[in-house]
Amino acid sequence: MAKNSQYNKVSVLIVGAGPAGLACAIQLKCEKPEIDVCVIEKGPDPGNHSLSGAVLEAEPLHTLLDLAVPDWRDSDAAKDVLANVIDKDDIMFLLGKKLAFNIFFAIELGKAFGLGFGQMIHKGDYSVSISKLTKWMGQIAKDLGAEVMTGFAAKDIIIDESGEAAGVKLVDQGLDKEGREQTNYVEGEIVNSDFVLLAEGCDGLVTESFVEKAGLQRKAHSLFSVAAKELIKVSPEQYQKFGTDRVVHAMGYPIWTPVIGPGMFGGSIIYPGLQDHLSVGMIVGADWKYCDFNVQDALTNFKNHSFVRQFIEGGEVVEAGAKMIPEGGCYAIPRDPATGSIGKGNVMILGDSAGFVNMLKIKGLHNAINSGMQAAKAVAESLDAPEKAAVKYTELIEQSAAGEEMESAKNFRQTVAKFGPLQGMPLSVLGGLLPEFNVEKDYEATTIARYRLKPNQDFDKDTFTAMAATEHREEQPSHLRILDSEVCRTRCTPKFDSPCITFCPAGVYETIHDEVEPANPSNCLHCKTCQRKCPFDNIRWTVPEGGGGPRYKRM
Amino acid sequence: MSDYIVLVKQVPDVTQITDNAFDPETGTLVRTRLASVINELDSQALAFANQMKGADRGRDGKIIALTMGPPMAEEILRYSLSRCADMVVLLTDRALGGADTVATANPLAFAIRKIVKEILKGSDDYYVVSGMQSVDGDTAQVPPQIAEELGLPCIAYVTKSEFKGRHFEFTRIISGGSQVVAARKKPVVITVAKYEYPLFATFSASREANKTEVIRWSGDDIKASLIGVAGSKTSVIRVFPPGKSTRKCEQVGDAKTLARLIVEGFTSGNGEAGQNGQGQTSSYILPGKRTDRFDRGFEGTKKENENYKILAEKLGELGITEVGRIDDACREKILAASGKHFRKKALEDMINGLETTEPSYTGEVWVVAEHSEGVVHPATFELIGKARELADSLESKVGVAVAGHEIEPMAEELIAAGADNIYIIEDKLLSVFDPTAYRKVISDAVSSYWPQIVLYAATPQGRMLAPMISYRVGCGLTADCTGLDIRDSSRKSQIGILLQTRPALGGNVMATICTKNSKSQMATARPGVMKRLPVDESRKGKVIKHKVELSKDDISLEILKTELGTGEVNFEADVIVSGGKGMQSRDSYERLVSQLCQGLSKRLDTQVERGASRAAVEQGFVERVHQVGQTGTAVGPKLYFALGISGAIQHMIGVANTETIVAINSDPNAPIFKQCDYYIVGTIEDTLPQLLQALEEE
Repeated sequence: MAKNSQYNKVSVLIVGAGPAGLACAIQLKCEKPEIDVCVIEKGPDPGNHSLSGAVLEAEPLHTLLDLAVPDWRDSDAAKDVLANVIDKDDIMFLLGKKLAFNIFFAIELGKAFGLGFGQMIHKGDYSVSISKLTKWMGQIAKDLGAEVMTGFAAKDIIIDESGEAAGVKLVDQGLDKEGREQTNYVEGEIVNSDFVLLAEGCDGLVTESFVEKAGLQRKAHSLFSVAAKELIKVSPEQYQKFGTDRVVHAMGYPIWTPVIGPGMFGGSIIYPGLQDHLSVGMIVGADWKYCDFNVQDALTNFKNHSFVRQFIEGGEVVEAGAKMIPEGGCYAIPRDPATGSIGKGNVMILGDSAGFVNMLKIKGLHNAINSGMQAAKAVAESLDAPEKAAVKYTELIEQSAAGEEMESAKNFRQTVAKFGPLQGMPLSVLGGLLPEFNVEKDYEATTIARYRLKPNQDFDKDTFTAMAATEHREEQPSHLRILDSEVCRTRCTPKFDSPCITFCPAGVYETIHDEVEPANPSNCLHCKTCQRKCPFDNIRWTVPEGGGGPRYKRM
Repeated sequence: MSDYIVLVKQVPDVTQITDNAFDPETGTLVRTRLASVINELDSQALAFANQMKGADRGRDGKIIALTMGPPMAEEILRYSLSRCADMVVLLTDRALGGADTVATANPLAFAIRKIVKEILKGSDDYYVVSGMQSVDGDTAQVPPQIAEELGLPCIAYVTKSEFKGRHFEFTRIISGGSQVVAARKKPVVITVAKYEYPLFATFSASREANKTEVIRWSGDDIKASLIGVAGSKTSVIRVFPPGKSTRKCEQVGDAKTLARLIVEGFTSGNGEAGQNGQGQTSSYILPGKRTDRFDRGFEGTKKENENYKILAEKLGELGITEVGRIDDACREKILAASGKHFRKKALEDMINGLETTEPSYTGEVWVVAEHSEGVVHPATFELIGKARELADSLESKVGVAVAGHEIEPMAEELIAAGADNIYIIEDKLLSVFDPTAYRKVISDAVSSYWPQIVLYAATPQGRMLAPMISYRVGCGLTADCTGLDIRDSSRKSQIGILLQTRPALGGNVMATICTKNSKSQMATARPGVMKRLPVDESRKGKVIKHKVELSKDDISLEILKTELGTGEVNFEADVIVSGGKGMQSRDSYERLVSQLCQGLSKRLDTQVERGASRAAVEQGFVERVHQVGQTGTAVGPKLYFALGISGAIQHMIGVANTETIVAINSDPNAPIFKQCDYYIVGTIEDTLPQLLQALEEE
């Protein structure tokens, strides 16, 4: 159908219409309205694949909006998306199924003494739905003339002889389950571009391919968390009791109890949404050791804790989703060994794809937006010399607030991973003073130990995926691949009882005729936990046809 | 090298209905609160046209997408451009809004004329391709009406095309099977019922689409003859939420309990039919026959009914017996006492309405009979039952129009089913169904006798014939009715009119519609919803032969092959076990459905037949003759088993008369769970063996 190949060439190609990619498109269109900026997105609409807590530190977004839409504060979208400003910040420590202690004073104390974890204060931030925020940003980008092309999934990056990126290749469409060409088959096109900005989100497929092809290096492995969240419609009384200006972060039960276990890193959240809706979520470091653990089980336990139950009992789950969070921090950002650039030449890596999550603040959204803005500035300054863009971008980002805070949070997550929550958290107070060290990859942490607090009933994953409104065209090759089924049969199943079947929040994996298979790829939520947590690193997530995946609206 | 004009429509996305899409007060689905998408069958039609173009010799024909709608309908034209369209035309004008199918088909036909003249330079080598129906209206009327306006043949319910050197052969769905046909001449209107391979957007075409100029035409540009509300021949008088299903919708935890419920339910069987069954006796009485001449208890809407009731009470209190004696003082008193139920203007209208007592329409109540190979379609008998009820309350007669060859023997059976007059149109050229020829002769009969009501079965044949006839004779038509009642709208001086109630927006709302600007009121009615009368051999009726000149030129299609389902299917069986797409393969359908059939037959000691959803038939799991639903057969067994069937409305209306519906599906959100009596959430593979064992033990 390529009637005219001139349409396959753009000046700036941004892969991923999330907060980072769209911030980049918006900033760039403001700085250089004349150049063509194209954002491709695998989801059906901007925001459909965006999920976060989400507490948003306002600064970078305000700066961006002031530039792009000076009267944004009066818009309906702003009133809807940015309605909840946080005033009350509760940090709860949960002990057992009933006890809860507010330990916010400790964070304030930390702040007073200038300790790292003192950053975890959210007063003045927004509690937002990132799906809605992204949708809004998508509209702003379109209004400014950026081309936001949804339903197009990138498969790989194309590097030319000179070592610069020539563009990306899109996913083939119209293959049947066995990979044969149907009558409507269209080969994935190549989109050529002067600049390629990778803003795919956590564990980006094209990003990782680029890291390998371009020889980028990380000082430490990427580390991840897995998060599951539900949006619950509660009664007006419960909503009022919780408050619209309050956020609750909780630690302890059901993933960590000092000394007597279980011992996992992570925490849980309760945030207010609009009109009698509360978001309840569970985030667990993917280096958990229990082979039968599933984040949704922990979420169930959390919801049943008496402190939480008072707010949500009798409520109805109206939306749900899961994702991974890149937590490796400063040392896990992929850089060019020669120049230190985040990306290389005309390719820049943004937001969660780079790993700009500050684990001391437990926030990354503001850094993602900031990284998009800096990348746009770098592109604007390098129009005549695209090969210098990545170096420029890295300079700008390191001079910005994001650079400083990433530096201050370095080592935090690694310290916890190495010493465990009990010793690691106090040790992390020393923050950047500790020497740089590496820890094992998340999947290597799996042991034969079992999670003792597993609820009696299996989590209802079918309803969960239905609430994520996920769908894919059924008649396409499975986008999930088990590399060697022999490994499943002879090593994983006998030893660990196939953890993928348990940990996949969408129930994609099943045993069929004694073989573990990605039996329901169309349920996939694109969280990619499977390729980071298979104990034998035996699963690969590839990109399905564009337009598939979850359809988050208020996550 | 042919060109292709593809009709596309923007529709609300009924697959993504959110809570806030419903009006909190009335509970009615508000269409504008849903996202807009291209009608899925139209996107299939685009792909179908593209595939025809690829198969055609020249391959350089143009694909032109045409839509009529508000300015935002441009989105689906860009969708078309990003797939395969070369040019797009948007027909948009406020004056075109509020149109029914007639006032939609007419301007579209005029736009096609303009496209042919200006873009195709007068060529007659083109096809008009569209989806069979839209998901919001569900009528399937517009394409045949366009064909009628343009004087073109229409091939409906097409699933496949094959290029044969010079022309295309099309496979289409007919009741109980499929047929391969070719058009005798071009141009032709094609409606696509199913095409598996909708096109994907490409990056370059999508970018180009965003930069392509859309051709915009207004009403003045095309000079259509019937537009907007004024050009429409039907109007919607009421929209309301569908009634709560009387089904139990009970989730059953385990197979053992289900087995017990099935056996108990089957053996106790109370004989009550399902949700949609219509009562046979109408309470309507013509105004002239009512005991009280101010009794207006048969009004179209509840509000009107209440107002007239209040008016009648007050007139009674005042001792007034004649309309002429309602003087000004009297009016004041009534207004004062009405408790603000109505105001002065409304009262005047009502009093004027009281003066009308004569029915607005005269003539018989007709049914157009459907038959094949000498056998009358069961839906025809159901319609006669309904027509009998309507005719009795209107003090009229039931006529049945039958066109065909050697059809006289059918008259006896039709009379025994409740008809008074049988209009026979006999011609050798009518020996097989040809839409162009049939619509010609039946239109001729209708406009010779002018019945007040004409009913057709909403089968593939009826849904294609009725729009052509109604358009030809200039009458309104309502598709797929599930309710037909005689009512008055006295304030509009309409007495004894036909209220036609049907589901819309994929069954999410119900609409009551009445005919306007027409000499006859026409409707197609869903098979399996109305009830046939017991056969009465003693009934007497007349056979009237109606002669219409026909020539070979009146035959538009060449029928090359007809494949009716092989094997006998007994849908009269007490139990029907149906499999859907969830059965995965032909093998598992065969194995699992047969196992359950045997198990049930043994345990309940009764006849069990196999059924299937359309999806299962399309997948080739079983022959089409087993298809249950709108395009298959409507059934009404005591027990209906739906295995791996999602519960699309087209399927569910075909089982509405079932006593007990049991569903097993692995998708916890399958719509069928809201329309059945008992269900188990689980895979068929896991659940059936347990159920079979439990049935044996029960």
